[in-house]
Amino acid sequence: MISRRRLLSLAGASALLAACGSNTGRGGDGQPLRQWYHAYGEPGVQQAVVRYADSYAKVPVTVQWNPGDYDSKLATSLLSGDGPDVFESTPQISSVRAGQLVPLDDVFGDARGDFTESILATHTVDGKIYGVPQAVDMQMLFYRKSLLEKAGVQPPSTVDELIDASRRLTRDGVKGLFAGNDGGGGVLGGPALWSAGLDYVRDHQVGFDDPLAAQAIGKLRELYASGGLLLGAVKDWAEPDAFTQGLAAMQWTGLWAVPAVQKALGDDFGVLPFPRFSGDGKASVPVGAFGAMVNAKSKRIDEAKEFVKFLWIDRTDYQEDFNLSYGFHIPPRRSISEKASKLTSGAAADAVKFVRDNAKASNPPDWTSVMRTAFNDAVSRVVRDGAPADAEIKAAAGKARDELKRLYG
Amino acid sequence: MRHGRAFWLFVGPFAAGLLVFVYVPIGWSLLLSFFDARNTVTPTEFVGLRNYADMLTDAPFLRSLGTFSLFALFIVPLTFVLALALALLVNQISFMKAFFRSVFFLPTACSYVVASLVWKLSIFNGVRFGLANTVLGWFGAEPVAWTVSTSPPWYWLVLVTLRLWLQLGFYLILFLAGLQRIPQHLYEAAWIDGAGRGWQTLRYITLPQLRTTSVAVLLLLLIAAYQAFDEFYNVLGTDRGYPPFARPPLIYLYYTALGSGGQDFGHGSAGAVILTLLIAGVTLLQGRVITR
Amino acid sequence: MKVLRYAALSVAAVLFLIPFYLVLRNGLATEQEITAPSWTLWPQEIRWENFAALFSNPAVPMVRSMVNSLVVAVLQTVGQLFLCGLAGYGLARIPHRYSNVVLYLVIATLMIPAAVTFVPTFVVVSTLGWVSDLRGLVIPGLFSGFTTFLFRQYFLNFPRELEEAARIDGLGHWGTYWRVVVPNSKGFFAALGVIAFVTSWNQFLWPLVIAQDQDSWTVQVALSTFLTSQSIDVVQLFLAAAVSIAPLVVVFVALQRFLVRGVTETGIKD
Repeated sequence: MISRRRLLSLAGASALLAACGSNTGRGGDGQPLRQWYHAYGEPGVQQAVVRYADSYAKVPVTVQWNPGDYDSKLATSLLSGDGPDVFESTPQISSVRAGQLVPLDDVFGDARGDFTESILATHTVDGKIYGVPQAVDMQMLFYRKSLLEKAGVQPPSTVDELIDASRRLTRDGVKGLFAGNDGGGGVLGGPALWSAGLDYVRDHQVGFDDPLAAQAIGKLRELYASGGLLLGAVKDWAEPDAFTQGLAAMQWTGLWAVPAVQKALGDDFGVLPFPRFSGDGKASVPVGAFGAMVNAKSKRIDEAKEFVKFLWIDRTDYQEDFNLSYGFHIPPRRSISEKASKLTSGAAADAVKFVRDNAKASNPPDWTSVMRTAFNDAVSRVVRDGAPADAEIKAAAGKARDELKRLYG
Repeated sequence: MRHGRAFWLFVGPFAAGLLVFVYVPIGWSLLLSFFDARNTVTPTEFVGLRNYADMLTDAPFLRSLGTFSLFALFIVPLTFVLALALALLVNQISFMKAFFRSVFFLPTACSYVVASLVWKLSIFNGVRFGLANTVLGWFGAEPVAWTVSTSPPWYWLVLVTLRLWLQLGFYLILFLAGLQRIPQHLYEAAWIDGAGRGWQTLRYITLPQLRTTSVAVLLLLLIAAYQAFDEFYNVLGTDRGYPPFARPPLIYLYYTALGSGGQDFGHGSAGAVILTLLIAGVTLLQGRVITR
Repeated sequence: MKVLRYAALSVAAVLFLIPFYLVLRNGLATEQEITAPSWTLWPQEIRWENFAALFSNPAVPMVRSMVNSLVVAVLQTVGQLFLCGLAGYGLARIPHRYSNVVLYLVIATLMIPAAVTFVPTFVVVSTLGWVSDLRGLVIPGLFSGFTTFLFRQYFLNFPRELEEAARIDGLGHWGTYWRVVVPNSKGFFAALGVIAFVTSWNQFLWPLVIAQDQDSWTVQVALSTFLTSQSIDVVQLFLAAAVSIAPLVVVFVALQRFLVRGVTETGIKD
């Protein structure tokens, strides 16, 4: 790979710029390592991660908190060579292939077996691990027990029952289900595939190039057209407000919402995975985890790796605090999640069980933005516009196939 | 020689900055458009015109170019006519003139972020307590999911009203300035010749006199329509990306070049070049005006 | 006829003011009032303590970011007026064989969408070591093709007699510009100054990426912290929005007469 400086002169930059290039050389002794987080919504997280970093004795670490469009900001900074040394993200095959990330297999040591295998898998590309999982997040279906009872509706265990329930729960100004302001296409596309025994990508092949996929996505259209969905709420699916304010009897949101829902509704709610649809299909919950990663352009890769090891491998107390003291996440290490008292009862315990039995990667490393855009476009058009599902899905599968061929040959 | 030195004394500092901070990046982007540049801005694999060929056969990109040509056809005349109408009204009154001028110009102070917030969360949210749905409720109508519904595509109402609110004031001021430059004696002469005070003076005096202002306004509006980004991104974008409806070309390119899960600067830059050529072509078509 | 005119203008004015009303109402109410099924015209009691909550929110340095925005906007406004004014005058009044080339380069920038040269621009600026630095926030935005173009159009129409009088007094281009042209163009400078200030204040994407340390955030970046997907505090969000536009509203109401006068003098006429 040619250096940044050389490219500048290629691009016709003046000698002036090239001469200034050496200014950026950070690093060396006494300089702090730079660590980035995206902005967590829960109060206290920012102070906590600063506290963790301050307790690291070997090298000073400055923590940077990044609100707004974290993905774009991180991507831009990693490209410039002026990015953070350590940052959180989910690994993508494109970054790995472009040599932007440092493999972290040796950081894990004996602790490797302690990490939930399915979570580690989402941080593994071409056989190497690129991120140390920090906290597991998952999504699931919340339902209001009293409202279901009143309407004589059982908690849905199939997709058809879900559609039926949404329709029947829609009354007295309350909608049956809230699954995002886009009508569910964004968050339920994956669960719909899984409900039919399919997936985004499977063994380097397109996982949804199947007539069943069109049928499963067609069910989302049925749900949308049933009139049972809440649309255009002030806060989107990631926050439970529509559910707790009584605007919808069921809502698709995440584990992180459990404390707020408990506070508002007490025991009057239950949680479910996305139900199964047919054949080989299974109920599912999308699961993902941000991991700590090391920038390959960092001038101090070894120090950065050592810090990551300290933070997320050695200091198990930090992982516990980070996952359980502020919001509600599942610690990726079994030794911690199993003894966490917060996770042993109620909806949280159900969630842990779903992650064990029904977990699907919400954002696998080889599900690239090209594939995701093609798939989401297709789902949106089917769900919101009533476009023919088979043609749309076929086109998206074609695009995904080209992309996978480029990646894996 | 004296001119030469003076010219660079005046233009030099600006030109140097323009070169470094505008043209180096432009040249760089142009270069990237000929390379396979995934997750890097220092690519090594030259691919010739392949990125261009890909983009010119990329259905979503072409669709967004088409959508925004239609959008331009619609929003440009609409903004033009409304801004002119308001300017004529404000120009004809004397009492509270400054007040009305201020009110119409005030939205220019708002950022797209703020305006999008108000439109998305307060006026056009899809639940009962949104302003638009409250008004509908007074007439007994059911709440409408403004930003979601695709049939009819209400999101255009949301986006167009937002853009009008933010932009009208600026063009109104341009028109007001133009109107104030029209010599009063032209009108007086026309009235003596028996022209009616309304439509006829507008048709034969005001509009011809506003020609240069109109051309400039049309040009700026056209460029702004094709470069639409901010309010679309803030109103329709979600954490799951941007839906395939009303997707501006720049948003599509933004996700191509900076999307999570893969940055593709080759295709992104090629698309940007195509878009730029399209804008240049359309503006040239619209008038050979601007250089004078 | 007159009545109709005022009626039409009043209706339009009300429509234009509604969003401002909503920002204030939402920012001063409680969330319950905002989401109540029947419309709350104005909060029962104005919650001034919302301001205290906003300004003491440790996660969002509102005061600091307002100051940053102010500094950036002032520097960019002054810098643009200085650089683009000079360049516009040079292009309009000093004949040179490259003047057309420079002019075309300036006009071309109007058509090239900045969003797509964004990443290379960032790389250039970070190569200079200006990330999270005032220079990175201010300098790349100084070279506005739009402003230069407007200045050139304006100076084309500047009365030559005034300049010739200065020439007779023995002033060169430089002296003429500063002693005669600028003092006679205050209105136009004020108009472009207002536009530059607003544009700078409302910038979002560039400050988001370049102002990485919390200490260098601008107000738009701070505003976006309320939009992070995990928790939107609607009330604080709208209050922050109100606070962010307040300075501009003041500037506008105070300066708008100059604006019209300034634009009247512009080169949009030929």
